[in-house]
Amino acid sequence: MIRKPPAWLLAAGLALSLGSCLDFQGHDAPPKLTTEVDDWRDEVIYQILVDRFANGDNGNDYRIQLNAPARYHGGDWRGIEDQLPYLQELGVTTLWISPVIKNVETDADVDGYHGYWAQDFTQLNPHFGDLVALRRLVAACHERGMKVIIDIVTNHVGQLFYYDINLNGSPDEQIQGNGSTSPVLYINEYDPDFDPRGIQSFTSLGEAGPAPIIFGGDPATNHLPPNPAVFRNPAAYNRKGRTINFEDPDQLLHGDFPGGLKDVNTRRCDVKEAFVDVYAKIIEQTNADGFRIDTIKHVEHEFWRYFSQRVRQRLATQGKRNFFMFGEAFDGRDDLVGSFTLQLPPEAVEFECASGGPPLSSDQLDSAFYFPQYFQAIRDVFQQAQSTDRIQALWEQRTTTWGTVAPSGGIDIAPADIPVNFVDNHDVPRFLYDVEHLDLDVQLALLRNALVFLYTAPGVPCLYYGTEQNFRGGNDPANREDLWDSGYDTSGETFQWIARLAKVRRNYASLRRGAVNVTWATNRTGDEEDAGIFAFERNGGSNKNGYSLVVINSNQIHPSRTGFEGAGMPVIAPPGTVLEDVLSGATWTVATDGTVDITVAAMSAAVLVPAGDVI
Amino acid sequence: MTMGVLCSGEARAAAPPGGFGDDTSAADQADQPTGPSQAELDALMRRLDSLEAEVERLRAERNAQAQAPAPEGPAPAPAPAPAPFDDPVDDPAGPVPVGSSTDGQRPPDFADGFHFGSYGRVVAAGDGRGRPPRDADIVGRGSRMDESTYAELELRREDYWKATGAFTRVVATVALRHPIFHYNAEFDGALALRNLYIEEIDLGLKGLSFWAGSRMYRGDDIYVLDWWPLDNLNTIGGGAGYQFKSGSFIKVHAGINQPNSRFYRDLSMRPLPYNQPGEAEVAILDRQKLISSYKIGHVFKVGESGGVKLIGYGETHHIRPGQREVPGAYREFEDVPADRGYVAGGEVSLFTGKRSTHINMWVRHAWDMAAYGEFAYPSQLAPDQTTKGARELVVALGGNFEKNAFGVMMGAYFRRFRNASPDLDIHDLNEGIVLVRPQVWLGKIAGIAVEASYQAQQRAAFPDLSTTNSGPLYASMGRFGLMPFITPAGRGSYARPQIRAMYMLTLRDDGARSLYPQDDVFNQRGVDHLIGFGAEWWFGSTSYFRD
Repeated sequence: MIRKPPAWLLAAGLALSLGSCLDFQGHDAPPKLTTEVDDWRDEVIYQILVDRFANGDNGNDYRIQLNAPARYHGGDWRGIEDQLPYLQELGVTTLWISPVIKNVETDADVDGYHGYWAQDFTQLNPHFGDLVALRRLVAACHERGMKVIIDIVTNHVGQLFYYDINLNGSPDEQIQGNGSTSPVLYINEYDPDFDPRGIQSFTSLGEAGPAPIIFGGDPATNHLPPNPAVFRNPAAYNRKGRTINFEDPDQLLHGDFPGGLKDVNTRRCDVKEAFVDVYAKIIEQTNADGFRIDTIKHVEHEFWRYFSQRVRQRLATQGKRNFFMFGEAFDGRDDLVGSFTLQLPPEAVEFECASGGPPLSSDQLDSAFYFPQYFQAIRDVFQQAQSTDRIQALWEQRTTTWGTVAPSGGIDIAPADIPVNFVDNHDVPRFLYDVEHLDLDVQLALLRNALVFLYTAPGVPCLYYGTEQNFRGGNDPANREDLWDSGYDTSGETFQWIARLAKVRRNYASLRRGAVNVTWATNRTGDEEDAGIFAFERNGGSNKNGYSLVVINSNQIHPSRTGFEGAGMPVIAPPGTVLEDVLSGATWTVATDGTVDITVAAMSAAVLVPAGDVI
Repeated sequence: MTMGVLCSGEARAAAPPGGFGDDTSAADQADQPTGPSQAELDALMRRLDSLEAEVERLRAERNAQAQAPAPEGPAPAPAPAPAPFDDPVDDPAGPVPVGSSTDGQRPPDFADGFHFGSYGRVVAAGDGRGRPPRDADIVGRGSRMDESTYAELELRREDYWKATGAFTRVVATVALRHPIFHYNAEFDGALALRNLYIEEIDLGLKGLSFWAGSRMYRGDDIYVLDWWPLDNLNTIGGGAGYQFKSGSFIKVHAGINQPNSRFYRDLSMRPLPYNQPGEAEVAILDRQKLISSYKIGHVFKVGESGGVKLIGYGETHHIRPGQREVPGAYREFEDVPADRGYVAGGEVSLFTGKRSTHINMWVRHAWDMAAYGEFAYPSQLAPDQTTKGARELVVALGGNFEKNAFGVMMGAYFRRFRNASPDLDIHDLNEGIVLVRPQVWLGKIAGIAVEASYQAQQRAAFPDLSTTNSGPLYASMGRFGLMPFITPAGRGSYARPQIRAMYMLTLRDDGARSLYPQDDVFNQRGVDHLIGFGAEWWFGSTSYFRD
């Protein structure tokens, strides 16, 4: 234990010190845990890749290479803190920051700048700052009414060991087979192909049993045995090699992630306990407000039951409630994505791990990224102008595919009511990249339209950093540009548009908390009068009438209306209600038959509230 | 002179012919002695001329001595230790260099010809567990009992120039450090050329001096910490000084250096010109640091030999802007801004002039680039990539007291360092040490020194996420040493040479242990020992001296 200095020495030192105290402004002590959120549906999440957002501390800029997208660039937590005014002006309220723990420094000339190559769960990534810097960021956010969500990984660790397949004690890339009587095989001991039995060693005489794993020992690249000690046990890993077919359930759950990222055996009790401990400690040391969880579909449901319940319980006893945990399942299958929010009863074997605490329930995560909506709405409709009825179908099935019961001790919102929506992120090309073949003004109009959808659809909007600056990078790492190149300009049209949408969302609680009812969707995409229209009501919330109506025209060619062949769009707003578009000021009146006929220009939208509610 | 000297130029008057009166008889005339011959007279004249020239030379010398600057303060105190030879030492000839005080702290006196001087220490020691000795201090300047082998070999040439009445000293000092050949059988010892300069004193004006070259240019030190807290510059440059008769002095200096780092020099490979095959190394960034220093001082005499010395001191550091190649990019450059730094400080020294008894106090504050130290390459820079905002404060105390067979040396300091990075990090620290070394002499040839010190350091470093204690890192150590020695130089804290044995016990707390990497023995154990013996000497060294 580190001892404090004797009092007499402190006094003497202070007399001499003339203001020499190392003043951490109160952040040298662990913070008191607090509950900062009332309702997560009120939040606007902003995704930050820490290394690329803002460089506030040159002292941690070692090994940076600005001209190489796959290397460290110098962004840090201090930089985020410095740019909080920029973020507040943008209207975001919650920052999701990339993983904070120590990573493999570099592997095959690619750096662990993104944070998804964990090496030491007990240490912070020194590239981003120290514990004081992280605490200060969280505290600074809370002072501004903002929250912080921390990205975590439980599926895999970095490239920490290799499989000694040929039992020679060194990591090899081998070519086996002669190509005539036996196939030529390329075997990389860091990343061998999947074997359901577990990776086997072999010599010229044949297989020799499971291949031992050998942890690295290179401090310069941080290929070192992990911490805590439980992760140095080979049994903590599935050791089956690289997934080559994600459709195979065994490979999906137990294969190493491409790039040599070793899959963790998340069925083990010690592993479950260790993950709860290391990640809860981050919250206990920083007072952050939630977890975004990486690669959840590669981890068993039993783990999510244990992890989510034990984290909630542990943090709640210390004052942290309403702790938001949502996961990333990069998949278009809505039933798969939603399955991590369903109430799925635990199996008997799971209770062995849970003997030390409250009984395990069926609760899992609070929410997940709405990847199905990304593919079917953002890509198909807003980028490719396909029919909008797919969005309606997707939303309507969510009541069966996603959880409709809020996890106990969670955020008190049913997962189906709070999907996390996005138009792009760090794992997909930026929105503008996918439409770059179109005229620039068309590209920007499409983006603006998609952003209206993002800020009005049920759930929580999540905006990827740089969207507000019209960044247009392709796939990773091109979509991880340095935000400082934009000069943090707040005068751009897209920045202003997003800030405006955030204000609209903030002003009208129905857009945040209202129940949703699709009032118009169509399978028509051509010259038809309603081609591209998607309209929905949000009903509920504390704005006066608790009502809003969103009408979006995804057609890229012509204006469209909420009607077809004489049929109008019925709404629940009473006849005679004057609805005003808060974006344009235009008004429409609900007809006596309870319908309203709204025409919206191509690639445009209207967000209507009763005229008396307009702020 | 063996004959009476007559008035210059006066020839002996020839005896008058006939003598006095005319009644001088011929016989009498025949009995009168005959005068010297012309040849003899000529020889006598030449002899007289030579003698007169000699007188003039001696007269000039006497005048020169009379006009030599008065030594700073009272006359030099008698050396506390007897001279190594029984023969009486010649009176020191030549000037006293500018700024040297008369508390015994003075460099070797001038004497025409070649000279050899040295500072050295050789150590054979271990930790009692089979490992070699190792510096266990956690603060920047700690106990020197565990210092490793080091030696300076100094060759000097000193001359007095009759034509100008000036004195010159050419100094070349080669330094060597551990490991030396007999330790590891490697014929590639660590060697450095430290001094290589010429100093000219009384050139053009009595009391005025100039120097140029590579020089260990420094003031007063704390022996027990092996440290010059106020001024210790190692540059290649030059300076000037003037010693007033009142005892005041002023010294200025400017020098350059270029530590080996990308902050100063960045080399890139380029193809050769004119389509030649091959490549050449090009210095894209190649900038030197210019350091200037300014020192004024005055000694107030107290009593017969004592005094109070006051010193005011300042430095400027400056480096020009440049460009550097972006790592990993070919011909893509980034600007490197200009940078500067300053030092302001002072010293108060009280001395008795006897038995090297003195106490010195220093205060030094450094800003920006100067806060990092002259050979350090700045890191943890400010957002604008400069050292702006870096600070260092040093308050130090050092002294020696001797009476009869007892003496005590002490050294203490507090240092606060903040790098230029706005946020606190592990490199930001407060540290200090208090060290005392009392000693007792047994007769005139032996003695025992005991040393006790406490050092502490506070760093802006935090343990990992799994530890819940709050506050920055605090590390401390206590050290206790015993050093019996023998010396032919008699009693005196600064009497050398010495052959000594040493034992030191080190007690480090958890914080001190945590400063070392995993598996380092200093990380693993809180108690360490040092057992050894060795020698230390200095004589005739211009960079290490104390009477």
